[in-house]
Amino acid sequence: MKYSDIDVAVIGSGPAGMAAAIKAKEEGAVRVLILERQEQLGGLLHQCVHNGFGLFYFGQDLTGPEYGHRFAEKVRDSGIEALLETMVTRISADRQINAMNNREGPLNLRPKSIVLAMGCRERSRGQLNVPGTRPAGVFTAGTAQRLVNVEGFVPGKRVVILGSGDIGMIMARRLTLEGAEVKAVVEILPYVGGLTRNEVQCLHDFRIPLLLEHTVTQIHGEQRVEAVTIAKVGKDKKPINGTEQVIECDTLLLSVGLIPENELSLMAGVELDPLTGGPVVDHWRETTIPGIFAGGNVVHVHDLVDNVSWEAEIAGAWAAKFAQKGRLEKERKIMLKPGRNIRYVVPQAISTQNDVTLYARVKDMEQDVQLKVGNIFMQKLRVVKPGEMLKLDLSQSQMSQLNVNTSELIVECGAPRVKPKVPY
Amino acid sequence: MLQIETEVLIIGGGVLGAVVARELSRYKVDVILVEKEADFGWGSTKTNMCIVCQGADTLEFRPEYHRSKLVWDSMPLMEPLCQELDVPFKKVGELALIRNNEELAKFQKLKSRAEKIGITGHQFIDQDTLRQMEPHVTRQATGALYDPNIAIVDPVRLTIGLVENAVQNGVKVMRETEVLRISQEANQFEVETNRGSVKCRFIVNAAGTSAEKIARLVNSDDFVLYPIRGYVGILDKNLGGLIKHEIHMRPDAPGQMNILTPSIHGNLFFGTTMQPARRGDYSTTRRIVEIGFQNVRKIVPDFSEKDIIHSFAGFLMFRNWEVGWHECVVQASRKVPRFISICIGYPGVSAAPATAREVTELLRREGLRLETNESFSPSRKAPPILNELPEEQQKELIAKDHCYGHVVCRCETVTEGEIVEAVRRGATTLDGIKFRTRAGMGRCQGGFCTPRVVKILARELGLPEEKITKKGRESRLLLHKSKELIEAQT
Repeated sequence: MKYSDIDVAVIGSGPAGMAAAIKAKEEGAVRVLILERQEQLGGLLHQCVHNGFGLFYFGQDLTGPEYGHRFAEKVRDSGIEALLETMVTRISADRQINAMNNREGPLNLRPKSIVLAMGCRERSRGQLNVPGTRPAGVFTAGTAQRLVNVEGFVPGKRVVILGSGDIGMIMARRLTLEGAEVKAVVEILPYVGGLTRNEVQCLHDFRIPLLLEHTVTQIHGEQRVEAVTIAKVGKDKKPINGTEQVIECDTLLLSVGLIPENELSLMAGVELDPLTGGPVVDHWRETTIPGIFAGGNVVHVHDLVDNVSWEAEIAGAWAAKFAQKGRLEKERKIMLKPGRNIRYVVPQAISTQNDVTLYARVKDMEQDVQLKVGNIFMQKLRVVKPGEMLKLDLSQSQMSQLNVNTSELIVECGAPRVKPKVPY
Repeated sequence: MLQIETEVLIIGGGVLGAVVARELSRYKVDVILVEKEADFGWGSTKTNMCIVCQGADTLEFRPEYHRSKLVWDSMPLMEPLCQELDVPFKKVGELALIRNNEELAKFQKLKSRAEKIGITGHQFIDQDTLRQMEPHVTRQATGALYDPNIAIVDPVRLTIGLVENAVQNGVKVMRETEVLRISQEANQFEVETNRGSVKCRFIVNAAGTSAEKIARLVNSDDFVLYPIRGYVGILDKNLGGLIKHEIHMRPDAPGQMNILTPSIHGNLFFGTTMQPARRGDYSTTRRIVEIGFQNVRKIVPDFSEKDIIHSFAGFLMFRNWEVGWHECVVQASRKVPRFISICIGYPGVSAAPATAREVTELLRREGLRLETNESFSPSRKAPPILNELPEEQQKELIAKDHCYGHVVCRCETVTEGEIVEAVRRGATTLDGIKFRTRAGMGRCQGGFCTPRVVKILARELGLPEEKITKKGRESRLLLHKSKELIEAQT
């Protein structure tokens, strides 16, 4: 069979999938196969025509397609195989993959190891339960991004954006540049959901009104969106009666969060972390099923693409090793648990075998905090925000201080320092 | 503007209009079915909870009601009908939860009433059996009344199946055709629509929530309908396996309903609050969604709000206290000859097969000549659904038509081939594709497939993409081309 002796199969070819495949090849995997549902490699990078990609990975400010192109060339040059326009429909716990495309029909393959790199998807109106009618003109920000940047359409002229995730803010700027009027970006929290740099460069620089602590309470219009009602929210995030105002618009974009895309992982029986929505992984990005690895936004939603690629490289490298050895020997496992003001930590398990980078997100914005991993790591930070990922490098020597019996470490954001009272 | 003549005009292409059209196609009768929306079954039919019920668990189904009789007579007809039309039908059974002695007494009364009418099969089950059958339901339930006859269908697919079969047998259908005025001449009606006029001798008014409005166009005011809005939420397919039966719990507050049911396609539906509302206002409100969710949590406490992928509103039509709130309208007008109105109120889908027979009988009584159509064929073939085929047949289908190998909707695994086939069979809009193929009905709610489906629709219909609508009329999806707005500014 054509695909009978694949070493590493990578599902998805976005910034995670391509990075994982390249790394797997570098680490000695002979046959690496990418399965991609779109017509070309790159995943969502094609529609991200804005800049800000690769600042850390390449030390250059690239656009999404440029960033993708660099990886795609490397994929081609290193002899990685790719099946495009191919949808993976099922993965089983014994690493059987069912896929389908319009050239070969249903495909079955059983690679020696798998890297999950399916990325994430956007929360929809239904999940948010935005009340009101069901007219045309309600899109997720990512769908609108594809429509504008790939398909060549501007969905509407007068736009309200609910949520201030990065794609939402980027689309606020993009639509303004396209000649549409972005009437408001409405955010339920007291701060934006995405990166500060996007708040400044996409909203403030274009004088787009940002309404914090507000939400959309009703969508109006039978056929096409005609208006939305927005209202201020209280501390409980519920709309306050009497603060409602109607904004006329023809389009409502939603940028209200991303969810790791793990339908295939669930089919395989991979354990998911309810805090991240992605698989529980260890420091090698191996999931709870041996031989199935995961990296990038499928594990947890990153803020920077550079981290997506780096994380996926870990998965790719160890998937290659697994393919060669058949199993991975692991030393003692230490579980990481989120503590005070920490929403989640990835990886969920580490070992003292090598240096490890931890990714964490906080629950609420705080100032002057101290990050701690058990009592072996500490870092002072002036400000932490849910929209910005924390990255902590834990070295092997730091971990060597650990008591041999330690099986669990708490990652926490220490309480803000109380300012000493000024004496009379 | 077109001008046509026919014997029977059916107004409304919901499940009732469609089932009547299909029934009449058994005879040599000229029939035209008009539907104001861009596709069939978009009114109360699509907001149905998919349950084929017999109502033996609720007081509203009084034996003296005409509606109850129609539902009970339809019960044995539904499965063979679905088989003929090649649409899904699944017996799931119902569990009416019992939490206290008061509820037990109510259900005992209902059970004996059902037995008197001749509905059999009900049995009381204890808590342990209930636990075995449904491990996730609330521990407050001490038992349940089990009704093995309850089934689920896909109401829109059933309607499409009925329409396609009717068309096969000679019925003409017109969509996006709204009835504006009806004038009566000597022996016929002249019905004015937005697309021209239709002359006909008989009218079957199956206009759903607008049935009263249509009746008033001929000054036939025999009935009044009160619209009550109900809310339905859909839960993610990941939870689909948690509940296997339709579960009914007596509401704790008036005006609420508490139903949780698996759907044909593996989601869970929950029906929640009801409230009076302006006819045709299908909007939801925050409060209603909240109450709805609280209610479903009473049945299965483990659900999280994050599991809801979609919610929508629909209408149930109520009569008045004189005829009975829960009575239906299936009658020839007392004032206007040859004018028949049908509105089941709810559950229209469950009552459809028997209603069709009754309407045919009413038409005969009004003077319609019914001569058997010898070439009538009762069976219709549904379009292929790749995901439901065994691998060998998948291969065959893809070899024959490569489009079936191209998955467009990832959540529901809908292929380009299925979408193209839906367009060939009459879908013209994004929602049309959605209800016929399920593309866009999954957990991402069209986030991924919308641009792709629009492209396929435009290509197949030979239209520019900006002309593609969500649901017809003014619901265009893409208002401008790139650079159009900037060029307009400069």
